Amino acid sequence: MTSAATATRVNVPWSRFLGRHMTWTIGAGILGLFLAVALAAPLIAPYDPIYQDAAVRLAMPSLDHPFGTDNFGRDILSRVIWGTRVDLQIAVIGVIFPFLIGTFIGTVAGFFGGFVDTVFMRLVDIVLAFPFLVLMLSIIAILGPGLSSFYIAMALVGWVSYARLIRAQMLVLKSSDYAVAAVSLGFGRARIMFRHLLPNAVAGSIVFSMSDAVLVLLNGAAISYLGLGVQPPLAEWGVMVAEGQSFITTAWWITLFPGLSIVVLAFGFSLLGDGLGEWLGVNE
Amino acid sequence: MTGPVLSVRDLTARVSIDGETRTLIDAVSFDLCRGEILGLVGESGSGKSMICRALVKLLPSPAIAITGGSVLLGGRDLLALDEDVMRAVRGVEIGMIFQNPTSHLDPVMRIGDQIAEGIRYHQGFGRDQARLAAVDILGQVGFPHPERQFDSYPHELSGGMRQRAMIAIALSCNPKILIADEPTTALDVTIQAQILRLLLDLRDKRGLSIILITHDLGIVAQTCDSIAVLRNGQLLEKGPKRRVLAEPQHAYTASLLKSHPSMPEEGGVMAVTQVAPQMTARPLLEIDDLVVRFPTPGLGLFKKGKMNISAVNGVSLRIMPGETVGIVGESGSGKSTLARAILGLTPLTSGHISFEGSDLAQQRRLTLAKLRTEAAMVFQDPYNALNPRLTIGDMLAEVLAVQGNTSQVGISNRIGELLDLVELDRSFATRLPRSMSGGQCQRAGIARALAVNPKLIIADECVAALDVTIQSQIIELFRDLKVRMNLTLLFIAHDLAIVRNLCDRVVVMHRGEIVEEGRCNVVFANPRHAYTAALISAIPDIDPDKPLPQGDLPPRSESKTPRALRFRSLISTQ
Repeated sequence: MTSAATATRVNVPWSRFLGRHMTWTIGAGILGLFLAVALAAPLIAPYDPIYQDAAVRLAMPSLDHPFGTDNFGRDILSRVIWGTRVDLQIAVIGVIFPFLIGTFIGTVAGFFGGFVDTVFMRLVDIVLAFPFLVLMLSIIAILGPGLSSFYIAMALVGWVSYARLIRAQMLVLKSSDYAVAAVSLGFGRARIMFRHLLPNAVAGSIVFSMSDAVLVLLNGAAISYLGLGVQPPLAEWGVMVAEGQSFITTAWWITLFPGLSIVVLAFGFSLLGDGLGEWLGVNE
Repeated sequence: MTGPVLSVRDLTARVSIDGETRTLIDAVSFDLCRGEILGLVGESGSGKSMICRALVKLLPSPAIAITGGSVLLGGRDLLALDEDVMRAVRGVEIGMIFQNPTSHLDPVMRIGDQIAEGIRYHQGFGRDQARLAAVDILGQVGFPHPERQFDSYPHELSGGMRQRAMIAIALSCNPKILIADEPTTALDVTIQAQILRLLLDLRDKRGLSIILITHDLGIVAQTCDSIAVLRNGQLLEKGPKRRVLAEPQHAYTASLLKSHPSMPEEGGVMAVTQVAPQMTARPLLEIDDLVVRFPTPGLGLFKKGKMNISAVNGVSLRIMPGETVGIVGESGSGKSTLARAILGLTPLTSGHISFEGSDLAQQRRLTLAKLRTEAAMVFQDPYNALNPRLTIGDMLAEVLAVQGNTSQVGISNRIGELLDLVELDRSFATRLPRSMSGGQCQRAGIARALAVNPKLIIADECVAALDVTIQSQIIELFRDLKVRMNLTLLFIAHDLAIVRNLCDRVVVMHRGEIVEEGRCNVVFANPRHAYTAALISAIPDIDPDKPLPQGDLPPRSESKTPRALRFRSLISTQ
């Protein structure tokens, strides 16, 4: 390494950028990589993910099949690559709807307080009173298995944490001087709520949504594992782990690679969440 | 007084962020003798707190490093000591008290235990012995029932009592030196006087040396033996109190002295004579027997009727157009509640407020609409009063758009005009509040108030959070705006000196009631009510020969209205 005196010009910006945004950069890198893989799936996947080749059932990882094959002779690498599409979709859609619903309800409940607040918060208590997975499973059982049922169940159950987060922030912010100033200047309620208070309240929820994406991803995998989410033969990491379960002692590669993908993607989301938190100044 | 207890030589500290290095403390040297009170004076950012933190090596950030100099305490150089030895110095030889006692006391620990903890740790006393010692110290710092109050939690005490508890903790190990960092800034004037008197007593009894950090020259003039003036980390001037106050050697010291509000100014007197309100006209604002009560928090399961706290109790007041009225009183006296009630931000329990002839209690909708377009408020904390995510230009544009009197095209012109009015450069339109200083934020806040083209501006403690020199600039700005725009100004402050300089008429509030009202010069010269007299005599005067007031003031009400309560009905009142 060069000495500090000579290296200042070239080195400082990058090392400083990385030093400050290390978590953010790595997290965004991981997510970017998965996104690229998902978009380019037809181009980079060596085989059709549902093509069954009876000749190479349960093949060890090799040059032909880098991640090996499963009990139907399907190429694991191709399935992992195509599964990226499904799992990213689960993480994003499974977070966006709870986020939007919860943010709206939390904003309204926190801002108006009183009766509105009581109604929504008791609703939150009711949802929280049931074990999370049990509630999800019963909703999916009513709607019938499938990804869209999973998204609906997620939206119906997942909003409560966002509502609570935002409500707590709103309660603090609505007594801030700039909120009082906005009232005294004759601003309308909707304007105060959504233009002045919400942008200041939402940072914490955005950060939380990143770690929530991890949970939703694992949930999606769990629901699929139970056979209520993604249906075979569609490639999804959770389903793949479930299918590989019976061969875990003889063909470990069937479960290992999709499992690793879940871990790395989840890791990427949480790093991004931490980085966002620093950037948005949530800890201040 | 023998040789110095503490001697600081060429103390230098630098901070390096992003490869840039700035000097925070620039070769500061001074001596502190036994029993001496040294006042460190300077504006925020002058490095006065930093010096005291450097003395005990408690720097707020690892990016700050002490790069030179020495701090000699009893022949040892503190800067050369390692962390373990240093821990024994802090508390045992140097005690510290801070500005905000609330955040420096552990909220879940009894105050007696907090004092006893230091005694047990540093002096190795047993539990019972430490308790006795702690009770003794509580008595010394003026707790009336030390034995019983040993078991109080910080939230059960008033602000002044908390500060006494902080002092007790600092004294628990018999330090030789006490560093007091703005110990009275968060307190009311009357309480401030009590705390300062306590510090003087302790000095006399124990031979303590005290370093008193403050921005208020009045405090220094009345308590300190010598003064050190700081600016940008440099020690500009140091000398005995009387010499510095009488013949300041440095131009900056002279300007600090000049901006101190207790100095009689020609402007203040002029304002009184110049803007004589037309007594024949209809009053702009008329308040009649106003009562505002808040329910006490808590479930009240076992009580039939809910307990109420009266924040404002039967206040009547008339304000003429063009008048400047000051409302003074200690915290908890109901002056802020009154301001919020006038603007319709808090519900009235009974009584009337009429603004330009329309009654807020009876024609609520109409009067509120009128108030929203013709009255505006300026707040105490300039940062909290501005939305942190809007630039100054966006903020003003929004007000103008909502008020609807300015065309889309005219808005950017009007923003420029408003910024000119409050003497901010027009480039501030694109800045965010966090990139601005407190004074600049306060100017932006005033610009927002002016954007509605108000007849009435209510300024709630709007200079309390600012440095003295900035304070006098803002006061000057108000005085100027008042004349230029024919504003009616309701100026709420706990600082009587500022009110005396700016206002025509003063209203003194105590426990929700008006105890005295009249023209400024009359009230300040001949206060009729004992409470007013006590308030006036508690102002730290810059004249070193005027002693701190003796004797205790009328006991103040301990009713604390929780902040959250004040806005309970913010939304429902619209």
